[in-house]
Amino acid sequence: MSLPIILLVLFTLLLVGLLAWALRAPSHANRPDLDVFDALRQSRHSARMSHVLQALQPEDTEYLRETGQIALMQTLRQQRRRIALRYLDHLQEEFEMLLEISRVLAVMSPEVVGMEEIERWKLSVAFAATCAFLRWRLRLGLQPFSGFTLLSNMAADIARKLDAATTRIAEAAVRGSKHPALGNENIDGQ
Amino acid sequence: MVEPLQLQTATWALTTALELALFVLFVRRKLGRNYPAFFAYLVSVILQSLTVAALYRTPNLTKLTIWLIAWGTQGVVVLMRSLAIAELTRSVLRRYIGIWALARRLLVGVAVAVLAYDLALSKGDWQWMILNGIRGLELAMAAVIVTMLLFARYYRVPVNQLQRALAVGLCLYSAFYVINYSVLERIVQQYAVLWNFLGMFAFIASLLVWTSAASRFVKSEEAAVPPALPAELYGKLSSEVNSRLILLNRHLIQFLHVEDRSR
Repeated sequence: MSLPIILLVLFTLLLVGLLAWALRAPSHANRPDLDVFDALRQSRHSARMSHVLQALQPEDTEYLRETGQIALMQTLRQQRRRIALRYLDHLQEEFEMLLEISRVLAVMSPEVVGMEEIERWKLSVAFAATCAFLRWRLRLGLQPFSGFTLLSNMAADIARKLDAATTRIAEAAVRGSKHPALGNENIDGQ
Repeated sequence: MVEPLQLQTATWALTTALELALFVLFVRRKLGRNYPAFFAYLVSVILQSLTVAALYRTPNLTKLTIWLIAWGTQGVVVLMRSLAIAELTRSVLRRYIGIWALARRLLVGVAVAVLAYDLALSKGDWQWMILNGIRGLELAMAAVIVTMLLFARYYRVPVNQLQRALAVGLCLYSAFYVINYSVLERIVQQYAVLWNFLGMFAFIASLLVWTSAASRFVKSEEAAVPPALPAELYGKLSSEVNSRLILLNRHLIQFLHVEDRSR
């Protein structure tokens, strides 16, 4: 059997595998009641990150090391690792909520922009991979304490940008929700 | 011991009986109205069985004539199956205008790419091109069904039990056809009986899946379609959601880089 035929058979087997996967019950429950505009207005975990990171300054643990309180330092570091892991959970929740919103938008829209959908899909793959990698590193006892200071500064900058983006979304959402007619016609009557 | 030919005849009879049972079920439950192309495909399959049975009982026909008629009817059946798949895809996604418009382009692209790859394997030999063309069509149909189901899963589009069963039956049969044809391609002459026999079993499995779903089918209210959103508003919201996703992603990547530097 030649290589192209082997590839063909492998592709077919992959299709059968994907068929089985596509028919599985969804891991996330459907959210038909999700109100896009409410969800967009919700507060975001990432916006509070600068405060979380502020509490993770490395000086605290360095001070404990200098005073010989190694056990306490280790306890603190474990706690900080847990905080970092929880932060990742929140970031992921926020990301997944945005993806859910984008799905609801696509379902409601008379025209879906393929490039944006593809970009979202790529982003979700990249995000999931990075998140898993970070979690794995943190669980293995990574000590990212000095990095948190720099991250704190960056987080403030990112939170500002996120706020600006969210404000624009909220403005667009408010304009959208002001349209009276909901039904099989577009809400602006087009 | 049962002779292979007797076993094949019995399987053939069983297949025809199941086809007729499914036909009756579709008529009694008026499912043909909802899935006219699938119903037409079912009718074409039954007619093909009858035609081939009649051919083998008609004397004075050359082998070439039988071959041409048999493959001609097979061409019709494959065409009807393609239409049934197009109808199934449309019935799942059509109520979501934007997604359907995107999916339609993607599904056509997938089908053309798969068919082109398969035809390219023929290297210009027209005899292989016909046989590979049918295999390419089968593979394209399986790929279209899987892509449609992945689309529906990603966007949480509801797919009812009958639609799922139709998709599974059509996809598994096509996938089996491709594997069977590809693996036995080189040794088809020696194992022609086995090849036909396995193909029949795959089709029987599909018929059983369809019959089971059709017998349990309960017509229910279709899930409510969400209110339509103006395209302009979707454009704005969608790009803003993307920018937030990009920022979150960048945030995470920076987190990763910061940790690298801190090590």
